[in-house]
Amino acid sequence: MVLLRTILCCIELLIFSIIAGLLGSLTGLGGGTVLVPLLTLFLGIPIAYAAGASLISTIATSSGAASAYIRDKITNVRIGMGLEIATTTGSIVGSLTAAYIYSHSLAWIVYVVFGIVILTSIIPTAQRGKYEIPDPRRPDRTTKIFKLYGSYYDDALKREVKYWGVRWWLGELIMFFAGFISGLLGIGSGALKVLGMDWAMNLPMKVSTTTSNFMIGVTAATGSALYWYFGYIQPMMAAVTAIGVLIGAMSGTKILVRITNKQVRWVFLAILAFLGMEMLLKGLYMDHVITIAVTTQYLLSVIFTVIVMTILYYRYGILMARKERRTAIRGGGNA
Amino acid sequence: MPRQDMDYVIGLALRYGVIISIALILIGVILFHVKGEALGCSETLIMNPTSPVNTTVIPPMYALSRLPNLDPLSFIILGLMVLIATPVLRVALGIASFAMERDWLYVFITVVVFINLMLAIFVLPSIMHLHANPQLLKLLCPSS
Repeated sequence: MVLLRTILCCIELLIFSIIAGLLGSLTGLGGGTVLVPLLTLFLGIPIAYAAGASLISTIATSSGAASAYIRDKITNVRIGMGLEIATTTGSIVGSLTAAYIYSHSLAWIVYVVFGIVILTSIIPTAQRGKYEIPDPRRPDRTTKIFKLYGSYYDDALKREVKYWGVRWWLGELIMFFAGFISGLLGIGSGALKVLGMDWAMNLPMKVSTTTSNFMIGVTAATGSALYWYFGYIQPMMAAVTAIGVLIGAMSGTKILVRITNKQVRWVFLAILAFLGMEMLLKGLYMDHVITIAVTTQYLLSVIFTVIVMTILYYRYGILMARKERRTAIRGGGNA
Repeated sequence: MPRQDMDYVIGLALRYGVIISIALILIGVILFHVKGEALGCSETLIMNPTSPVNTTVIPPMYALSRLPNLDPLSFIILGLMVLIATPVLRVALGIASFAMERDWLYVFITVVVFINLMLAIFVLPSIMHLHANPQLLKLLCPSS
């Protein structure tokens, strides 16, 4: 009987990890962002253990994917390594902060921050794919000092794309914050890393995403080393989760190639909105800021999700599609 | 072309690091389901979501010494260590790669990243006196 129960528990954990890996790779946010809410909200796993397991699985998926990307020559190793200084430092500070928070039983703070991070990452995820290559900016002093140049062959555009990064310092600043969030919440914080490279350093989307993936492994290794000593890694749980997330992420990349219908993305965004709101409400509930029943929390999250998705779908779905059609009729615009 | 050779080596190191660690972890999980105990701890204690058996009660050296006994947790701990070591190896190879290109600025940058990793893995835990507590393991799992 005991054996049966543990196998059931194991399978439950495995299935949730596979789902997290799948969703993570399909949204491009990485497994951790979905994994931690799933484990804490639905399996009742303490958030410190969930975060530890998530960091471990983040290393597995990042290293697994990075080995493939390096061959593609899209990843910019220089830019990635330069920004690692900030992410690893941030991760150390973040992990120490997490240890302080957990040892003072302030775990609700982690829930609230987690909720906010998920909710704010919805908009850039909805926008993704709108513009692939940024308008060039004038190279500044840091471009030259840190050799932030590169080029890659774009399969979709069928040409070599030359690019350069600007505002290295601003990138570093955002990366420190990304590392901090990674250490605090036990996620890869890929969305923040992409923001740092895409928005601050003006790099093409493909370079940002692959370079961010390359960086996540080193950031997560820093965080999980400290998590190890603080005892946030439950070996069995981390083991099952790492296997599950890796399976999910690998099948996710296979599915991604086949998905041509962009509408499917909206389903994933809805899941994100729901999980983000749930984490936020649970955190506030734990601190007794709000005192509403758990079922009401679910209901509130569902209502919130419906509202957010309607707005987002109208703003980025219908309006965008209309605009694209208009430029297509006019003669392709600048394409 | 040193750059490309090095990229190839780095890609291989990352891939084999992940494959080896996942293989070790899988062996551990399978062994656990065969044996139903690990390091003397019962199945329920280890699988419990709020289990106190975490990385603070398992001294790594003790876990590794039990590898010949085919202890499930020994394989899992070794697998997790290999997984964490993979990005560290990647950064070390990065230093070598930039040194071969004689790009000293990036050798310096990569060394700083490496120092950060070492800080997290060795220096900070020893400054903060964080080490695994084998007495607690004895208390939790008397037959260990």
